[in-house]
Amino acid sequence: MTIKILPEALAAQIAAGEVIERPASVVKELIENAIDAGASEIRVEMRDGGKRLLRVSDNGSGIPSGEVELAFSHHATSKLNSVDDLFRITTLGFRGEALPSIAAVSQLAMLTRSADEPAGVELRLHGGRVTQREAHAAPRGTVITVENLFYNVPARLKFMKSSGSESGHINELVSRYALAYPAIRFSLTSESRLVFQSPGSGSMADVLVAVYGADTARQMVEVSAERSDAGEPGGQGRATAAVYGYLSNPALNRANRAHMVFFVNGRLVQDRSLTFSVVEAYHTLLQVGRFPLCVLKVSVPADEVDVNVHPSKAEVKFRHPGFVPIPALSLPDGADRQGEAPRLSFGQLGLEVQRTAAPLSPPDADDRLHGREWLYPPADSAPESGTSRPDVPPDERDAPLPILRVLGQVARTYIIAEGPEGIFLIDQHAAHERILYEKFRRERQALGASAQSLLEPLAVDLTPRQAVRLADRMAVFTEVGFQIEPFGGATYLLRAVPSIMAGSDPRQSFLTILDELAEEDEGRRVEHGGVIVADLTADGTESTADPLRQRREAMLIASVCKQAAIKAGRVLSLPEMQELIGQLEQSQSPRTCPHGRPTMVKLGLDQLAREFGRR
Amino acid sequence: MKVSCLQENLHKGLGLVARAVASRSTLPVLNNILIATDQGRLKLAATDLTIGITTWIGAQIEEEGATTVPSKLLGEFVNSLPPEKIDMQLNVRTQTLNLKCSRFESNIKGMDAQEFPPIPTAGPENKLKLDPDTLRAIISQVAFAAAADESRPVLTGVLAKFDDGKITLAAADGFRLSVRTGTVSEGKAGVTAIIIPARALIELSRMIGDEEEPIEVTITKNRNQAVFHTSSTELVTQLVEGNYPDVLSLVPKSHNTRTVVGTVDFVKAVKLASFFARDASNIIRMTIEPGTDLAPGRMIVRAESQEVGDQVGEIDATVDGPAIEVAFNAKYLSEMLAVVDAAQVAIETNAPEKPGVFKMVGSDEFVHVIMPMHVNR
Ligand SMILES: Nc1ncnc2c1ncn2[C@@H]1O[C@H](COP(=O)(O)OP(=O)(O)O)[C@@H](O)[C@H]1O
Ligand SMILES: [Mg+2]
Repeated sequence: MTIKILPEALAAQIAAGEVIERPASVVKELIENAIDAGASEIRVEMRDGGKRLLRVSDNGSGIPSGEVELAFSHHATSKLNSVDDLFRITTLGFRGEALPSIAAVSQLAMLTRSADEPAGVELRLHGGRVTQREAHAAPRGTVITVENLFYNVPARLKFMKSSGSESGHINELVSRYALAYPAIRFSLTSESRLVFQSPGSGSMADVLVAVYGADTARQMVEVSAERSDAGEPGGQGRATAAVYGYLSNPALNRANRAHMVFFVNGRLVQDRSLTFSVVEAYHTLLQVGRFPLCVLKVSVPADEVDVNVHPSKAEVKFRHPGFVPIPALSLPDGADRQGEAPRLSFGQLGLEVQRTAAPLSPPDADDRLHGREWLYPPADSAPESGTSRPDVPPDERDAPLPILRVLGQVARTYIIAEGPEGIFLIDQHAAHERILYEKFRRERQALGASAQSLLEPLAVDLTPRQAVRLADRMAVFTEVGFQIEPFGGATYLLRAVPSIMAGSDPRQSFLTILDELAEEDEGRRVEHGGVIVADLTADGTESTADPLRQRREAMLIASVCKQAAIKAGRVLSLPEMQELIGQLEQSQSPRTCPHGRPTMVKLGLDQLAREFGRR
Repeated sequence: MKVSCLQENLHKGLGLVARAVASRSTLPVLNNILIATDQGRLKLAATDLTIGITTWIGAQIEEEGATTVPSKLLGEFVNSLPPEKIDMQLNVRTQTLNLKCSRFESNIKGMDAQEFPPIPTAGPENKLKLDPDTLRAIISQVAFAAAADESRPVLTGVLAKFDDGKITLAAADGFRLSVRTGTVSEGKAGVTAIIIPARALIELSRMIGDEEEPIEVTITKNRNQAVFHTSSTELVTQLVEGNYPDVLSLVPKSHNTRTVVGTVDFVKAVKLASFFARDASNIIRMTIEPGTDLAPGRMIVRAESQEVGDQVGEIDATVDGPAIEVAFNAKYLSEMLAVVDAAQVAIETNAPEKPGVFKMVGSDEFVHVIMPMHVNR
């Protein structure tokens, strides 16, 4: 076999394949160029899902007529001068690869005029070769038209998806950039029909309305967080990292992560650690397998993040894992630890939802504790199928738990209660779990975890797996009130348990909890593909800000409360039920148990009327 | 069967035995009360297969016989009848009990007495006699400390030890221990230790409410039942199998600080603090300070909750030993204090993480151990 130099055109096509995979990748590159050019308006047009035609027009700087051809040669960029710059990238483009790659696999026309030139230039290329160039009248800015993408790369052409699917991707992409750059007016037309437009008002909220509609947008909450260098040597209290954006009320959720959008330094990225941290932040408020909607813009110093990981620039690498304050976007009870980045909590979020979507003030423990008006929606609107049910008005979804009148108990498991607009069936165990869980966390934050010593230390024999699980979490166990000592081999001495557990068999409860934690481990492995667990464990310093540790602690508390909660099958007296419901009404998240399962099912009066044919 | 008796007697008897009726049994006959003629009296009995209660009431018997009828219906019905004579007649073929009282008449469908499980009665084994007041006291001071959780059957029972004219009851739920010793009036148990379900003891103490005669206790030969016998009523209980942990050895033998406080003061302080402890893991802190030349000793009882506020109570104390602060669960303290039957309580402590021992001043028959709480900040 002889080594051959590839024909230039073929080499260009191969290189192009790395950057350009589908019409949406063209749109992404062209939008980024327009943003880099300082455009305040970007228009995207497509035909046939972009396969037939894509056009991106901007009112940015334009390209000086003398440099137009240069823009199409490889590694030609106006954005990077030296290798050092590579570590200080502040523009979206920097490789000088996009235009030549796109040109290599399409029929392309560029019309551009820079501000200080009287006339513009139109350049046409076929398969990367310039076929025409002429001076041309043009508005300031750049219009790039890409036709017949992959016309000369049959292999790619064959793998293109249907026009519908491609246009869906483009639509998603344009709306995401619109969200991240609310000051830029974006529009998207498909087959000459306007399908999306953002106002360019500078407010992300306005774009949310344009993307998701007012109902959904209303259920998103503005959030922001900052890390400052105040605590660091030489720090001057300046912000060194910031997060800004919107998160959905837990009621608003989806079966996948498709609506979790992250921009890092203006760059659309898919980053597992960010996704993970945000899901963490929702903690038990979302059922397993449900994901929030979010748009978060992360700003970090350019040298804290490596964007040069993949040609498509969709992946980034943080130089210091945990630098972004997102992982601290976290549970209420860690919120006011000193010396750490300010963080968000859902307690606050709840309060913010009911007021306005104003930027969050620094955490205020008291507000959180007394913020019982957590506006989690009725369980019956928690979408089963991934879409929210249209027949539940959003206002009702946001209503706090109404005052309920207990009617009785069914099957020694469910409490029936009447509310103003229907009947509620409440799972006594799940409801008590929720009550205990919030009480535990509240007390733990106020006082620390209280432990009740055992009359006599209990020697507990663990299976090797249980022992590993315990060893992994020993610090967390201790923190919530267990006192456990190794006693040689697989035997451990249980000396104290969280005081909430006094009343149940400590040995049995302890073993059950250890087994439940196994499910947690395995559940997570499925959910996050194992990678994140490994990643987080690898650099898992045992700091309290560690999200894994926080999650573990929360899971452990949830398990402890599950042990302590009233079991199904227990007959409850009317006063007992009233007390339970009263406490549930006081809970911040009365509609789910700490494991995310619903505590109640509602039968609305409307529904009853329908069922009985009254309507 | 054809019998007559007074409404008051039948009502009282049904009330006694109804306590043993199974509350949710899958065996229908266990929801019933056995009614049978027995040597010139009318025998009423109920059982849930763990305990059985049998009582005998005076009756005029014209024709011997037995049947069982639903406890709830019969009880409610008899309760509502006027205090007059009740005539009962059984239709054996249909097992229907006909009741006549004053101008009321009813027929209650029952079930064949043959289906009712036999309730063991005391045989000629060793008997011991206990004074009813002593028995009531030792039950009330111990049984509440037994575990409620069925997963540790042994701990849901109360250990009864018999030794040299003495009976010692002990119960522990893993976090506290209550021990009470009493004197046996007469006789021998024939065994050294048994485990009695706490529930049976609680029913027993209810049953002997106003009894004045000594209570006879018999442990059956095979040692799996105990029979408590009063003049007219008998309670049989299944005993808990297994070995009771050696809890008596857990009572600390020595102490650093001994604090004596007035029971009334202590009860009040704990009660006030417990309102605040409710939202704070039920923790009550006790700070004990010995007296000086100028001031008497004192004990500060404190609870603080982030949410509702805090409460501090100070009570006079005679403190013998160094100062100490120790925290206990409010529930354990108040349950213990509820059964203390003395003007003063002695608190013996060693260290904040060591058990607290509570005694009644002037009596060494009651010892209560509570494990402390601590807080991980
Ligand atoms: N829409 C545009 N407006 C102004 N200049 C542009 C535009 N698109 C491309 N350019 C110029 O062309 C160069 C090459 O673009 P590209 O191939 O995307 O490389 P990169 O963006 O990585 O620099 C850019 O550096 C920029 O100078
Ligand atoms: Mg570019």
